[in-house]
Amino acid sequence: MSLPFKSSEFDHYGGPFMKFHPRASAKKHSSWFSSNLSTVSNTSKKLVYIICLPLLILSLILFPSLRPSVHMPGFFSVSSSLMQDDPNIDSVFHYDLADSKGTGQGWTKNERILYLVPLRDAAPHLNMFFGHMVNLTYPHNLIDLAFLVSDSKDNTLEALREHLVTLQEDPDPSKRFGTIDIYEKDFGQAIGQGFSDRHGFEAQGPRRKLMARARNWLLGVALKPYHSWVYWRDADVQTVPPTILEDLMGHDKDVIVPNVWRPLPDWLGNEQPYDLNSWQESETSLQLANQLDEDAVIVEGYVEYATWRPHLAYLRDPYGDPTVEMELDGIGGVSILAKASVFRSGAHFPAFSFEKHAETEGFGKMCRRMGYSVVGLPHYTIWHIYEPSSDDLKHMEWMAQEEERQHKEEKLRELRDRIWAAGFEDVGNEWRIERANILKNTEQDELPLNQEWYGNSKIPGGRLASIDDEKDISIGARAAGVGSGSKGKKKAN
Amino acid sequence: MATVGPVRRPASVLIIVISLLAVVYLLFSPFSQPSTSVSAIPRVIQQNNAGKGTTAEKYIKNHKMNSLAATAKSADNNEKVLILTPLARFYPEYWENLLKLTYPRKLVELGFIVPRSSQGDEVLKSLNKAVNKVQSSSKKDERFAKITILRQDTESLDSQSEKDRHALSVQKKRRAQMSLARNSLLFTTIDADTSWVLWLDSDIVESPPTLIQDLARHDKDLIVANCFQRYTTDDGKPDIRPYDFNSWQESDTARELMSKMGDDEIILEGYAEMATYRVLMAHIYNAKDDIHTELPLDGVGGTALLVKADVHRDGAMFPPFPFYHLMETEGFAKMAKRLGYQAFGLPNYLVYHYNE
Repeated sequence: MSLPFKSSEFDHYGGPFMKFHPRASAKKHSSWFSSNLSTVSNTSKKLVYIICLPLLILSLILFPSLRPSVHMPGFFSVSSSLMQDDPNIDSVFHYDLADSKGTGQGWTKNERILYLVPLRDAAPHLNMFFGHMVNLTYPHNLIDLAFLVSDSKDNTLEALREHLVTLQEDPDPSKRFGTIDIYEKDFGQAIGQGFSDRHGFEAQGPRRKLMARARNWLLGVALKPYHSWVYWRDADVQTVPPTILEDLMGHDKDVIVPNVWRPLPDWLGNEQPYDLNSWQESETSLQLANQLDEDAVIVEGYVEYATWRPHLAYLRDPYGDPTVEMELDGIGGVSILAKASVFRSGAHFPAFSFEKHAETEGFGKMCRRMGYSVVGLPHYTIWHIYEPSSDDLKHMEWMAQEEERQHKEEKLRELRDRIWAAGFEDVGNEWRIERANILKNTEQDELPLNQEWYGNSKIPGGRLASIDDEKDISIGARAAGVGSGSKGKKKAN
Repeated sequence: MATVGPVRRPASVLIIVISLLAVVYLLFSPFSQPSTSVSAIPRVIQQNNAGKGTTAEKYIKNHKMNSLAATAKSADNNEKVLILTPLARFYPEYWENLLKLTYPRKLVELGFIVPRSSQGDEVLKSLNKAVNKVQSSSKKDERFAKITILRQDTESLDSQSEKDRHALSVQKKRRAQMSLARNSLLFTTIDADTSWVLWLDSDIVESPPTLIQDLARHDKDLIVANCFQRYTTDDGKPDIRPYDFNSWQESDTARELMSKMGDDEIILEGYAEMATYRVLMAHIYNAKDDIHTELPLDGVGGTALLVKADVHRDGAMFPPFPFYHLMETEGFAKMAKRLGYQAFGLPNYLVYHYNE
């Protein structure tokens, strides 16, 4: 931290101390001070101490904000001038890591956030992602962006660059971000990125280790000494509050995650927990961990490992207090805010089995091992995009087949009707005329055939003709077999 | 005096009180927002924003890391080396030795971390002086590519005397703090174009000038030199003796010991209370043998340790907690192994530790 009289450092920043220029006034006061001091007697010197000492203490009590600076180590040493860069030498950089510690109010203290996004074949999500970026309420100039583009077969890189240029050319300078770095590194992948490939149980261990490597690479190269916070964010988040950074930071925890759900189609019940990697350790899972071999990786959300852990996701109450905290042991990686000091001290995403976990879950476990607070917010929810599961996919495939089948049937029926129309002459109209002639001398009420033909149906007298017609047409339309019978009969008539 | 005193007293007291108040204000007012001034606009960012070229290049730094390599022909291939040193003490002999290294300086970046203590301030004074002298050199190839100097945010053990440092009881705490210092230094200085990381302890006062090239030519993930110390025997003759015992091959005895330990206990080398019967690299030095003889290791010391940057990027760090009952550099070797990397040592290739 800086020394009191290093006023030149603050000169160009303005602020409250500019009204009272330190250097100039210090000189003035010191000359007064010495000229008077020489004439003051010993007794008054004592009095000065008696008055001033309590005054100093009192001022510290009245202004608690002064206290931390007093306790700051090296306050009375000459260290601050030692930590200054020489303006004439452009290759030497000094950083006091205590300046990037991270507090609960980073936005008022100009704390820089490193915003990290691992990307792979993510072009379709970038529009949505940058929509969220523009809306962020944390001061944009304090956010440094770093992307890792790996193993992408689509145009992720080009699309990303386009979006970033648009972002930085915003006419409003306050909308522009700090530094932007894109790192390209392929790790090769044994597993595809489709939902079922990615989320199948056997694929989890190797997949998580690979993801962990990618995250570590990105972190290692992007983290600088002046970052106070690190925020990890997946690109495929659909709904997220623009105040997410402040909301998470306000808790002033070492590591913190929100709850992550996803919306579902109606036929699946509207919504579902998405991220099952945020959990508290349970007795069962600790026992399970002891039985597994050194390289095994426990993954959540699979029947193969029933861990009976309390999950952050399942504790959500849509009307619950969003600030409620829950201690966690493993965390998911969709949205993690951590103090940069956590990563500086060596916590990372294990690309090996660390206490039987890897990647973000292993990161949670490692942070706990290192004594950091790891917290989740059960009632503060962000929404991942809907990615259908393999069961959903099966269901959707069945629905698609069903629709196609019905469509085919419809066509077939139309065709059949047309053939019928062409193959059989419709004599309905003739019959209507003829019937009138045939039956003109008959009392319709006495017609014995009525009951036989129509069974139990109650047909009021005098309306036989019209009802007969309706029935005939509807039968013909519904079932070809029956229709043909009736038509055949009619033809015979 | 007696008559003047009472009259003058209130006035002089008032003046002194006012001036003291002013001093108090001066002292504390800049701290009302402590980090504003320093972290607001890091110099690096100011430099970055002055980018030139196409629109995209102006805003975006693109780093192609697929072609990044660390090979046996490090210097010929223009591979960048990051030399990292936690500086608890500044020995002029260390700095002189560093300057003697022949690896092209335009490919070398230096990183230092000093403790947050008055001792650290003393180190900073000497370091700044030494650094400024080199970096303001008029000849460009005499300057290092970049030098980063960090001041630690965590507390550090102040007593660093030889005796205290090695007491078994304080080792765990000391190792945890050393690990934090190393990790903080590593993860803030490693860049997208760093091929190698050389860990060189601040008390290494003598090494072959071709240290980096010699270690790199073995093309190993981790490789460590053998750390000895020069001393004078009782009969006044100069001699050398082994110093760093952290480079070793695991033994069954140690495995047995560890299997009975609790999760938070650590096993340490060089303590009579804990006989491990490990194969210590320090003890198999042979002056007559080839200096490039390799020895596979399970634990490494950090006195002169060359690491491929990818090993660190994959996450291998210095555990500040007992990791398989190991910490700091020994734990690092273990973690690297868990990630699939093998450590090696050169038993006959010596570097020398300061003798206090």
